[in-house]
Amino acid sequence: MFNPFDFAEHPGRAYLVATLLPLIPVLLLLFAATIRNMARSRSGTDSFASRIYWLFGGDQPLKTGGTLSILFLLGSFGLSVWGLLQFHEEAHTYHDFPQEFATRWSERGDWLRIGTSKTIRPATALEIGYHIDQLTALMFTMVTGIGSLIFIYSLGYMKRETEDTVDDHVAHTTRRGRFGRFYLYLSLFAFSMLNLLIADNLFQIFVGWELVGVCSFFLIGFYYERKSASSAANKAFLVNRVGDAGLLIAMAIAFASFGTLNIQELGGRIGGSQPVELSHGLWILMGLGLFLGCVGKSAQIPLQTWLPDAMEGPTPVSALIHAATMVAAGVYLAGRCYPLFAPEVFLTIAYCGLITMLVSASIALVMTDIKRVLAFSTCSQLGMMMLALGIGAWTAGLLHLLTHAFFKALLFLGAGSVIHGCHEEQDLRQMGGLRRKMPVTAYTMLIGVLAISGMPFFSGWYSKDQILSAAMGASLSNHLHALLFLGPLLTAGLTAFYMFRLWFLAFAGEPRNRTVYNHARESPWSMKWPLIILALGSIGVAWGWPLWDAEASYLGHHLHEAEPILNHPAFSHAHILAEEYHVVAGGLALLAGVLGAGYAWSRYGRHAPTAAQLQEPRGLLAKRWYFDDVYDFVFLRGTQKLAEQAASADRSSPERPRRFTLDGAMSGLASLVQRGGHALRRTQTGQVRQYVLVLVLTLIGLLGMLSVLAR
Amino acid sequence: MADVGLAPFQILAAFLFACGVACFITKRNAIGLLMGVELVLNAANLNLVAAARFVPGLRIEGQVFAIIVIVLAAAEAAVALAIFLNFYNNHATVDVDAANDLKG
Repeated sequence: MFNPFDFAEHPGRAYLVATLLPLIPVLLLLFAATIRNMARSRSGTDSFASRIYWLFGGDQPLKTGGTLSILFLLGSFGLSVWGLLQFHEEAHTYHDFPQEFATRWSERGDWLRIGTSKTIRPATALEIGYHIDQLTALMFTMVTGIGSLIFIYSLGYMKRETEDTVDDHVAHTTRRGRFGRFYLYLSLFAFSMLNLLIADNLFQIFVGWELVGVCSFFLIGFYYERKSASSAANKAFLVNRVGDAGLLIAMAIAFASFGTLNIQELGGRIGGSQPVELSHGLWILMGLGLFLGCVGKSAQIPLQTWLPDAMEGPTPVSALIHAATMVAAGVYLAGRCYPLFAPEVFLTIAYCGLITMLVSASIALVMTDIKRVLAFSTCSQLGMMMLALGIGAWTAGLLHLLTHAFFKALLFLGAGSVIHGCHEEQDLRQMGGLRRKMPVTAYTMLIGVLAISGMPFFSGWYSKDQILSAAMGASLSNHLHALLFLGPLLTAGLTAFYMFRLWFLAFAGEPRNRTVYNHARESPWSMKWPLIILALGSIGVAWGWPLWDAEASYLGHHLHEAEPILNHPAFSHAHILAEEYHVVAGGLALLAGVLGAGYAWSRYGRHAPTAAQLQEPRGLLAKRWYFDDVYDFVFLRGTQKLAEQAASADRSSPERPRRFTLDGAMSGLASLVQRGGHALRRTQTGQVRQYVLVLVLTLIGLLGMLSVLAR
Repeated sequence: MADVGLAPFQILAAFLFACGVACFITKRNAIGLLMGVELVLNAANLNLVAAARFVPGLRIEGQVFAIIVIVLAAAEAAVALAIFLNFYNNHATVDVDAANDLKG
């Protein structure tokens, strides 16, 4: 009998329970919503139905759903903290018994068996299982922890949704509040993301992958009455499908060649060198397919266009899904599948990350919408993580993923607090001087800005410093790849510039729009507490002793224990060089950051620009390097043209009679069948004797044939 | 009793079968048709029982089949007679050629 609470024998099952916990509020909320909807339609006539309807909150959505979701996610956070501590303890006590350690922290079983033969079992079954290592344990705690904070924050941010009617000023409609639905989606997202994290095989990851995708779709389109929100949701979903196609191809190659999708097994068979089961081309294709999936999810070029549009969703969603967790899933998968990549794929990853990083950072320089700046910054930071993975700095890249989750969630929640306090104003040019109105938001956000700019002793410094020194090692070991260091260095400067620009424009100087400023107010405590906790995390999450040594980060050490071992000669050489030039790289990165911040101060901080000086941005950067326009022209218009051509093939005209159109051909076929049916109908006379006669004659004929043929 | 072999039984069964078929080719009366069907079924029964007796591999299968056929025949006759009774009530005849109400 499978006992999921058998933590003594299988402590890994704590993670299983923690994954399933957020699913409970999903089911409860779905159930309650169904009953409420059924009761509502009859509440006017049926007294019993109306009593049930009022029991479930009546016209006003109940807050219970939100509280319930928060409690369950906090429970799952508690379990994950226990699991993390337990894991660290056992990693030492079981150090000499890896076999036992593995059985305690991972289990697997058949989920779907194709065929019954036991002899070729691995090739014929899709498996389900979990596998806990340092990376999973840390990511799991990060997702549940930040998730809990954002769930709590949403209580304040989504308060408007608890009213019985909500005016949507953008779509000019009035609708019911959707508080319960919001938490339903959030909880479903939490479950899917956690499932993705604990999965031990690619198929289960794919299931979680698609589920987080669909949750993202729901939440981007949360205000679906707005045209921009619904089309942004569609865009995100469609662009992600392109990436998923790559993932599917990679999975098909792996399953066909190795007969398993278990990542540990695949890693054991490949382990960084070409396996015998695969030709070199297929090996590269598999890696590129996996990476294409990561590109879609993590919004890397060329599939980055969906992420900035995803900001149409509510801000807590942007913080949780489109900054801290879901978009990080791409980087996580790339880190998970690290041993499966060919050297050529690593190069692709590095350069894809490099281009994304630079392009997105340059766009963020001119954006005036507070959330868009952060969105492009997210793209850029994800690009930096990808670059780190591509040059062999596994630990640095994933450390940046964890620290970035903290400060980017903080920045988004801070932006949400500003938007909430300024009554849905998102334009930086209308803000200014807000630090006097909302000090907690302003100074927690300043911590986030310092962290993302890589200022010393903030969490971002530790990860960025490691990435930069690894990049320097990579470009020194092969001078052809000098760009791999210069790119991140430039980005560090740009990042500091646009983040400080954002802060100065929003919080410093004098108010540029008096009406916005006069109505601005600090957010409630349910929103301030998460900000403060995240700010503490942004400062200290990567600390170690000694504090001034970026390599001493405890978080980094723990991650390093999970790093897959690769026999890649270029990487090991680069590692040695990275150690050697560590101080130089760190110093240069800090210099770039300080220069960027200083330039931002001289332009926006010393004397705040007036609204007139901040004109509408124009040109290449404001147009986002024309990516959207090119896609619009090629894919959107192309599809429309194709559809128009197809439609015109079906149009009849005086020169072209109807029977030459597609519709005519179909009708012709139908009338042929009809005529045949009419002809056959005559033979059905209904005369029993006739039927029997035909039967007997047929029998005689058959017997005759048999007697002739059998001779 | 002298052992006559399988062939005479089969010839008799074939004769019965032919009689049955001839009966429901020529008859228009519904009751006549039913009789023809009974003849055909019994021809089959005779075949089955004879085969069970003379084919070495078979033991009791033939008899069991024959009993199933008898039961089926009884059920079939009950249903068919019920249908014809209703038909007679509505049309005052049992001529099967008159049954063309459902013809489109």
